Amino acid sequence: MTHHIEELKKYAISKLNLNAIGITIFLLFLFIAIAAGIISPYNPWIRFEPYIPPNSSHFLGTNDMGNDILSELLFGARVSLIVGFGASIIATVLGVIIGIVSGYYRGMMDEILMAITDIYLMIPRIPLIIILAALMRPNFWLIMLLIGFLWWPTTARVVRSSTMQIRDASFILSVKSLGFSDKHIILSEILPNINHVIIPKFMLTIASAMFSEASISFLGLGDPTMKSWGMMLNFAFMKGGLINEMWWWYLPPGLCIVAVVFSLMLIGFSLEEKENIVLGLE
Amino acid sequence: MLLISVVVDCVSKSYSYGLFSKRYDKILSDISLEITKGKTVGLIGPSGVGKTTLAKIIMGLEKPTSGKILIEGTDIWHISSEDRNISLKKIKMVFQDSQGSLNPKKTIKQSLYETANLMGLDVFKGESLILELLDRVGLSSDIFCRYPHQISGGQNQRVALARILLVKPEYVILDEPTSALDIAVQAQILELLNNLQKENNFGYLLISHNIPLIEFMSDKVVVLDKGSIIFQGDTKEFTKFNSLKNKNNFIGYK
Repeated sequence: MTHHIEELKKYAISKLNLNAIGITIFLLFLFIAIAAGIISPYNPWIRFEPYIPPNSSHFLGTNDMGNDILSELLFGARVSLIVGFGASIIATVLGVIIGIVSGYYRGMMDEILMAITDIYLMIPRIPLIIILAALMRPNFWLIMLLIGFLWWPTTARVVRSSTMQIRDASFILSVKSLGFSDKHIILSEILPNINHVIIPKFMLTIASAMFSEASISFLGLGDPTMKSWGMMLNFAFMKGGLINEMWWWYLPPGLCIVAVVFSLMLIGFSLEEKENIVLGLE
Repeated sequence: MLLISVVVDCVSKSYSYGLFSKRYDKILSDISLEITKGKTVGLIGPSGVGKTTLAKIIMGLEKPTSGKILIEGTDIWHISSEDRNISLKKIKMVFQDSQGSLNPKKTIKQSLYETANLMGLDVFKGESLILELLDRVGLSSDIFCRYPHQISGGQNQRVALARILLVKPEYVILDEPTSALDIAVQAQILELLNNLQKENNFGYLLISHNIPLIEFMSDKVVVLDKGSIIFQGDTKEFTKFNSLKNKNNFIGYK
């Protein structure tokens, strides 16, 4: 028995380290995004000689316009993270409200809200954004809002099922019978008991939103005046960076996207695992 | 009698399923019973016959399909929701799952203070009342900063009782209050419940499927089977009824 617990503890510690790795990578990128203005060697819009391979004055070389790629990359972190966070905050807030309301009140409200959720789940999201972005003028804020308003249904589903799991728990019934209001029950009793579901979901939504922004920009439907990682990839492909084997042009933004998404996945999954272990040990 | 009791009058409850093609599941049919102040009514029956559903209906957490719940003469489903809340304040419930009846993310202190706050007590008055009540249920303030999973099942049940005493009910529904506890703790809790009844003149509805417990605690016994009452009478009659039933192996447990 003790051996078993020891093993579980070891498992928990290894997961904790994964969490720490994820947080470290993520904080690094957060720092880059915040301090881009200070740490980047050049203004990303300044033109130098185009197509320079990496050298001592341009660590990652320059692109077809002669912009310094390292500076572009550092400033791109800002755009990508803002889109990811902004969209994820919108999606999570919407998802949590809809999920809790339909899970807590049930009945007709639940039927209607879940029907809407099902409709949203059926929408092919990337093609829809492509169409909307093509119709309207592609704009960085618009893309963030679109992703935010299209990415909530899975959060709503998860939150609804967790709410339904605990809405009939005796501690909820007992505060209900003591005469507490629905508002108090939702905010103070239900929410703290399902945030272990919401936080990982929030992290994974950031990753998903960043990835979608990169896909949309890569397809050339992003904001052309903003330097995001997806936009950089798009230009690298369009302007012949890949064909001419200019690895310093197309590889860094791709690696950055992978690193941030990976770190968020690590944080999200290890938070989930930690909760499971805590529950299992009790 | 009407003004010092909770009367359940011909209550039926069925659940419906499906949005377009309605199907009904009948849980309770024509239940009538009366909980009087200072007395204990035992409600007994096998699992899944609707004992807890009946408790929820009496608590006003669910609306009966037909029939009336009269709290001291007031039909709670024929008055405004504010008046209903005032009437329902007189009834509180102790739950079976002692560990689960307190929010696991809150300390005992938070849970109790919140309730004092709800009752409109200021911090100072609330604190002295909470300490007094904790003392009454046999706990010290050492447990204040702990979480429900850090104290024992018996202690949790005592905290739940203190919280109920805080809101000053007149009737208490006990839904298997001791089934999750071991024997020694069960006896302590039962003694505490008996003493609290004497002090506060509580009317109890004790729900259980433990026959000796019901015989020990109750003045009147109601036997529920498949959603309807098959016996109602005082405890002596129940003992006779039970020995008869056991011969026919009716209820299906000892």
